[in-house]
Amino acid sequence: MTTLTFPLSRIEGHARVVIETRDGEVTLAHFQAMELRGFEHLVQGTPAEQMPVIVPRICGVCSTAHHVAAVKALEDAYDVTPPPLARKIRELLLLGQLVQNQATSVFVFTMPDRLGLTSIFEQAKDGHAEEIRAKIAGRALKVRKAGTDLISLAGGQFIHPVKAVVGGVTSGIDSEAAATMLAQLEEALPMACDLFDSYWESSLTMRDRIGTWGDDAPAHYIAAVDECRPNYDGDLIRVMGPEGKMRDRFPAREFRDYLTLEDTDYSYADCTSYKGEVIRANSLARVNMAEQMGTPRADQYLAYFLESFGRPAHAILLFDLARGIELVYGLERAIEILAEPLDDEDADVPYTPRDGDGYGLVEAPRGPLIHHYHIEKGLITQAEFIIPTMHNVLAIERALRVAAERYIDAEKVDMELERAVGRVVRAFDPCIACATH
Amino acid sequence: MKKFAVLQLSGCSGCEIALLNAEEWIDQYDLAYMNLVMSSHEVPEVEVLLVTGGVRTEEDLYRLRRAVRKADEVIAVGTCAISGGVANLGSRSAVREEFFAHEERLHLPDLLPMCRPIDMEVKVDRYLPGCPPTPELFMAVLRKSPDMEIASSVCQECGLKKDRDMLPEHLSGFRQGEVLSNICLINQGFLCIGASTRGGCRALCTRAGYPCVGCRGPSDAFIEKGSEKWLNAIRRIFSRMTEIPEEEIEAALRSPQLSLFLFQFADYAGAGQAPRHKEQVV
Repeated sequence: MTTLTFPLSRIEGHARVVIETRDGEVTLAHFQAMELRGFEHLVQGTPAEQMPVIVPRICGVCSTAHHVAAVKALEDAYDVTPPPLARKIRELLLLGQLVQNQATSVFVFTMPDRLGLTSIFEQAKDGHAEEIRAKIAGRALKVRKAGTDLISLAGGQFIHPVKAVVGGVTSGIDSEAAATMLAQLEEALPMACDLFDSYWESSLTMRDRIGTWGDDAPAHYIAAVDECRPNYDGDLIRVMGPEGKMRDRFPAREFRDYLTLEDTDYSYADCTSYKGEVIRANSLARVNMAEQMGTPRADQYLAYFLESFGRPAHAILLFDLARGIELVYGLERAIEILAEPLDDEDADVPYTPRDGDGYGLVEAPRGPLIHHYHIEKGLITQAEFIIPTMHNVLAIERALRVAAERYIDAEKVDMELERAVGRVVRAFDPCIACATH
Repeated sequence: MKKFAVLQLSGCSGCEIALLNAEEWIDQYDLAYMNLVMSSHEVPEVEVLLVTGGVRTEEDLYRLRRAVRKADEVIAVGTCAISGGVANLGSRSAVREEFFAHEERLHLPDLLPMCRPIDMEVKVDRYLPGCPPTPELFMAVLRKSPDMEIASSVCQECGLKKDRDMLPEHLSGFRQGEVLSNICLINQGFLCIGASTRGGCRALCTRAGYPCVGCRGPSDAFIEKGSEKWLNAIRRIFSRMTEIPEEEIEAALRSPQLSLFLFQFADYAGAGQAPRHKEQVV
């Protein structure tokens, strides 16, 4: 028996892949999360109203999603309905997170795989690659920053935001600040499209070199957004079957009837499945479910994507391209919202806390995120965090097995396997701090 | 170009993301290692090593000890590296027992009994507190002689007006449903501790209508003293500016939201650490 261990980089957090083979047969492919802080335990006894500030610390990449999910869970428990303006500002906040995350995953995490680099921040030895790299790095950070600046504007803080509170948000956005942000996004949009075009092109080149888009069997898909103009401040979780038919639609409160949670002895992250089937969350799930994005540039990219790959698309590396479509959508949709008045109504309503259970749902960049709190005497006595990356653990392991089978035979292990492992894992953009929490 | 590396232990990557937001370093500094954005397996020889996250697993400890040997200067960045951070809320015996009963795994790096600050294990030259520190503060720490003006407290950077006639009777906070812009959050019944918290963040939270929870740690006036001095300063402010009963303030000061950050700098974590010197803290 041979055991191959692959440390991972250019993903959030500490993880590794372990593959075992016997006589050229792949016998095991594990995705191991290597760290744990223990949020479900450590928040016990916390005054419930403090959760929106404590739980963003689960993850600095996804803090916005946790912030909003916590507020929504408390609103569910207290039976509070935030005013429409607050919902709009929260949508903006989540769009900022989407732009920030997709730009990071596409240009910082996975672009180097297409250029044969270790990082977009490291000078390439090959002149042509260096020319491309130099053009990308600065602009990629500018596009990201448009996302983080949007989080700052709508959330008060660019990481671990504070402005969403039970009952709404602390304040609206005045027209002057909105106009400045809008101008910044309008500058970022063509830059993002341009970068995405060259990303798409270099993805095609990479596909030709390796001879695959990362083929794997079809899977179920899970997302908490609607068919058109996805709003990441989601209300219902939807499941699509491998053939493209809608199978189920349910609120966060009922997640146990549809999703099975399991832990393993080789990873600090648990995993979920849908009625025993492998599911996939993240960009490809949403794009597979989207009739339309609802904004012009994003719809052009979506049409081209569908023309090229059909619906539902199942190949692994298409997650990366789907992420680019969402980046463009995020910028366009935020521009639309910022053109509307955002300080003309109440942003916040009063509330009275009470005990009980609350469920909060958000479509985070990596998929549906659920927070469940049980509150007694104002304190958290039980907390559950159902994390998007947990939905993808089984899908990652299955895709890793397919990749391993491609590059391992009885005689040898093709060294391309190491790169393939990186490409497969990064396509799912896993977040280990979240998955283990 | 000054060569630097970022070593991430158990944390949330928020500090790394904040650094990515400080675009200026790209042209001025040579990033030699940072697992989040770069595929390289070992920290090379560098002038500056930024360490984020706390020492939670045996692997964290191993990687920390190995990395500091390669660096001329070691800087602890963010609450987790400085105090163990949010994971230290689990450092209560009841929680710890439950935690290990559920979470230990045989085939993974062992979890340590508490999430330790890095200076319990290695020598640290400077500290950059904040959860996370802002991009501006990252640039200041890389430049060494910061050309940014850092006010002594968040309060001084905030600019919300105090109103002598508004004397809240309870910490009613967001339950009221409305946050008045331009009025000090203490006057509005929020537990804001910006008056004794280190400046440098530009009062991002309070200006957005959310009270300061103290993530930058104590200001220079309290940093070399025990936590009791800091807590007393907060108590004094509330007795002067509000009519909130002492017990209510007391309970709030011991709440997880604040203790997440309050125990950054002194004896609060119960680790028996000597206080950090103010000259070392940015």
